[in-house]
Amino acid sequence: MKLFVYIRKNLTLLIILAVLATLFIAAAKGMDSKDFVITLLRSLSVGSLTFLVASGFSLIFGLLDVLNLAHGTLFMIGAYIGWTVYVRPDTFVDLLAPLVLLLSGFLLGDIWIMLSNRIRVGERARRILPWFGIFVAALILFSVLKQYPIAIWNVGDYAQSPVSISYLASQGQNILRPPADMTGFSPFLGLTGLIFSSLLLAFCLVMLKSGKQASSTRLNWKNFVGYAVLILAGVLFFIFNDLLTGLLASINTNWLFMIAVLVAVASGVGLGALMETTLIRPLYIRPIYQLMLTLGLSAIGIEMVRAIWGRPEFTMPRPELFAGTGEGCPATSLAGWWQYHCSTMLVMDGRIRVFNEIFIPVIGVIVLVAVWMLLQRSRLGMIIRAGVQDREMVEALGINVRRVFTMVFALGVGLAALGGILAAPSIGLSNLMGESFLLNALIALAIGGLTSYPGAALGSLLVGLLQQFIIKYGQIGIPIPFTEIIFKPSPPIVPAATILLMVVILLILPNGLLGKKE
Amino acid sequence: MEYILDVQDIHTFIGQYHILQGVTVRVPRGSITALLGRNGAGKTTTLKSILGLTPPRQGNIVFDGREIQGMLSFNIASLGIGFVPENRAIFRDLTVEENLKIAERKKGDYANKKEFIFSLFPDLKRLINLSGTNLSGGQQQMLAIARALVADNSLLLIDEPSEGLAPVLIEQLMRSIRQLSIDSTVVLVEQNFLVASQLAENYVIIEEGRSVKEGKMKDLANDKATIQHYLGAA
Repeated sequence: MKLFVYIRKNLTLLIILAVLATLFIAAAKGMDSKDFVITLLRSLSVGSLTFLVASGFSLIFGLLDVLNLAHGTLFMIGAYIGWTVYVRPDTFVDLLAPLVLLLSGFLLGDIWIMLSNRIRVGERARRILPWFGIFVAALILFSVLKQYPIAIWNVGDYAQSPVSISYLASQGQNILRPPADMTGFSPFLGLTGLIFSSLLLAFCLVMLKSGKQASSTRLNWKNFVGYAVLILAGVLFFIFNDLLTGLLASINTNWLFMIAVLVAVASGVGLGALMETTLIRPLYIRPIYQLMLTLGLSAIGIEMVRAIWGRPEFTMPRPELFAGTGEGCPATSLAGWWQYHCSTMLVMDGRIRVFNEIFIPVIGVIVLVAVWMLLQRSRLGMIIRAGVQDREMVEALGINVRRVFTMVFALGVGLAALGGILAAPSIGLSNLMGESFLLNALIALAIGGLTSYPGAALGSLLVGLLQQFIIKYGQIGIPIPFTEIIFKPSPPIVPAATILLMVVILLILPNGLLGKKE
Repeated sequence: MEYILDVQDIHTFIGQYHILQGVTVRVPRGSITALLGRNGAGKTTTLKSILGLTPPRQGNIVFDGREIQGMLSFNIASLGIGFVPENRAIFRDLTVEENLKIAERKKGDYANKKEFIFSLFPDLKRLINLSGTNLSGGQQQMLAIARALVADNSLLLIDEPSEGLAPVLIEQLMRSIRQLSIDSTVVLVEQNFLVASQLAENYVIIEEGRSVKEGKMKDLANDKATIQHYLGAA
């Protein structure tokens, strides 16, 4: 009886799914098993990367009503940050100390709020002073960072550009530059300048927020612990810079890749939190401005990446576990791959790339399950699901929805950054990689349902399948029945077919396959 | 008399509209106070202003000896104010149990209160694993009130609890509200004067965004002219 009710309620959806399944079976029958397996695994790979962008986008839109058009750019930034850690650990280590010291001041939030509330100045001075402070902090930062020893590539010189560095790294050559010294002033002065500018910047940003803000009424030593730890970490990173660089340069690339993934995700989470609290939050009541803001941020992000890493596309070497080509390769089983760390593997006589076609889908499934568990089994997930439906009521229950907003935004951007670093060794790095994945993700969400997490997964899978099967049929051709003609879909048909699928599904189910009525 | 809630001359705007133009409500501790008035008079906005959901631009609100105007609504709610909104605002995708658990302010709130909640609303126990979508109007109303009881709230703001319910359910609901008012103070917004007069000890009449009359409910019940004038019912 329950089944009957379910079928009657979801008849249109089930019919569409049956039609899609029939098309899939027909497409599978038109190619041999080797091509089918390869195409299926490639679909899963593309679907997984699309899902990582789509799921974050969907979580953010579902809870915050923010269409984050910068999501693709953040995906790309994740890839570039990951590349930097993986290929140029010296640059990464050099950046650690200034970054950590710069962040330290923000851990004293409560103290700044108290101080800001106690300062008795006129309204005009309250508006001007923070901007003056920010200007001074920026000036100090600029003069310190100008002299600060950061080993970085040179986008203007091809031999030292990321393109050449990546190529040399993939050939196993040492591309690390000799450590530089702080020039112009003493390290003590440099570090003090960073610490001071961080304190000034954090205080002025807090002061900029208008009106009285609530803070803990009493300060205790706990307020200072985080700050002290960060200062200590920053100084230690500076002192042991060479040691840490040497360590990262000497460790196995599998571990280095894992560190790169963690740093990329952490950067995504940090960037997301920063973006939500400083830029998105003041615009919740102005959705159009928010849209313009994210669009602008996307353009700024792309230009910043171009300025730092350059315009040309380049590759990222795969970690050792997926890079073997010698003896025993291509592997014929997972055990063989594990033994020889082959980059490719034979599955039903078809050669597949282990990183692209197995590792990425596996990570995609792990993330799918992990975030699903978070949403279904944790209190945070419960609040997110409730907040998607009625934010005001969640707040009326005494829950700090703003904090949840920040966490969800950070999580969403973290997922995109994870997608970026996973995509880098697979498809390479380019300034436009984010835009194409964002477009794919938006189509996947329209198909699956804009605010539905399972919908994001289903939509991404369908987009991956459709695109990869069309690409494959572009190579092997589709025999037209009763004729001698073999039709080979050309590459432009791939995006056109994806959009056509979206249009057809939206015409029948305006909320997507698993979307709820708004 | 000790007032748990003292709202003094609040003015609230929604967009450019000046909705509340001077509302004063004083709620004695341990009582049920009804906010009465015609549709659109500003009763719901008063509740939302107390909770900071539509923050007042002027005026003063003191809850339990602490000024709360200007505070963020989650901070206000955390001080011990439960809210049962007009539309019930049940989270449809959450089960009944999740709808209750989400209202916990500290771990164990739900476990400690569930016996009391199920004694008030026995039906909810049976429906515990059902999702909010599958509940009837009456069941949703019970769940909305039960949700406000999970945390230790000393004040409950209940908006139109009888709206859209069958008479038999209204009876049951009234019994429950009476019972829960033993431990908490209740501010009740109610269109149905019969329900309000049977539940509340005090009343405040709001008309066109202003509080125009307050007093004891038993006095109002005998004052047919006032009822007719402000509420349009006799």
